[in-house]
Amino acid sequence: MASKVHQVTVWARGVVQDKEGRDIANGLARAAGQEGKFTQSFDNYVDLPDRVNVPLRKYARISDEEIEERYEYENLHPEVVIVADATIVKGIDVLRGMEKGGTLVVATDRRPEDILKFIPNRDLLGKIVCVDAKAICGDRTVDFSGSEGGVDSVGIGQGISAPILGALARGSELVKLDHLDAVVKNKDALHKGHEQAVVKTLN
Amino acid sequence: MFKIPKGKEVPLGCVTPAPVGEQPMMITGNWREFRPLLEPEKCDLCMNCIVFCPDACFQLDDAEEKVVLNEKYCKGCNICINECAPGALTAAYELDFDDGVVRLDKPF
Repeated sequence: MASKVHQVTVWARGVVQDKEGRDIANGLARAAGQEGKFTQSFDNYVDLPDRVNVPLRKYARISDEEIEERYEYENLHPEVVIVADATIVKGIDVLRGMEKGGTLVVATDRRPEDILKFIPNRDLLGKIVCVDAKAICGDRTVDFSGSEGGVDSVGIGQGISAPILGALARGSELVKLDHLDAVVKNKDALHKGHEQAVVKTLN
Repeated sequence: MFKIPKGKEVPLGCVTPAPVGEQPMMITGNWREFRPLLEPEKCDLCMNCIVFCPDACFQLDDAEEKVVLNEKYCKGCNICINECAPGALTAAYELDFDDGVVRLDKPF
């Protein structure tokens, strides 16, 4: 029997956070790949072409064995959900398809309790991680470099994706900080995100 | 021969049923990060917001002589805040409010 494929879904805002969302998915997949795991990371075909501020999805998959479902282009049962802009939790059911005991990572300056009150199906969560990514490295659109298959001249993890990946390493066993360190460019923000992340265990 | 029941025919590509009042198939309220907040005492009914809103979210309530915002479709572009002559509109962060956003299962 094939081992479990760990599905990770990233929610971000269209255009303004397009690169950040992609960096989270790509950075996670590459860091896990350094551990010798099999990975995939890709955009959501349905959301493209995105418009400014639309909620959009990026996906990553991590497995100990080769991932067989090559042509399934949506994560139907995410284990970890990352929300790069906190206001998305209000308007979208981000935990759709999640099995009980999943992890939610939110980039926000609010406390975990303030985010949880906007999520009606919060009993699915096993852990919530909040990190104030904008305070760590500023709210800036890094670049459109690398979008839609273009050459990424900026590199992975220059913006708010770095502290979010650091927070993910703190709240989840999927990826280790050492492996992220080799992939992410803004290493200072990565470590700050790892230290400053607020983890709350539920259930 | 496969028969499609009457009234269940598949519409042509990119064609949605014509909305009578609102378009329920394209709710854009969950795109919003900051919402415009109206201070009624500052508003002088210049109606710039009604003219400039790209989604026609502002409507004039004739009976009560005030403008009302339809939050279901406001996508938070904040053009109205730029165009408001008396400065009655301010941007407010969405997480400060408990309601006002239509929660959708899927983005579209």
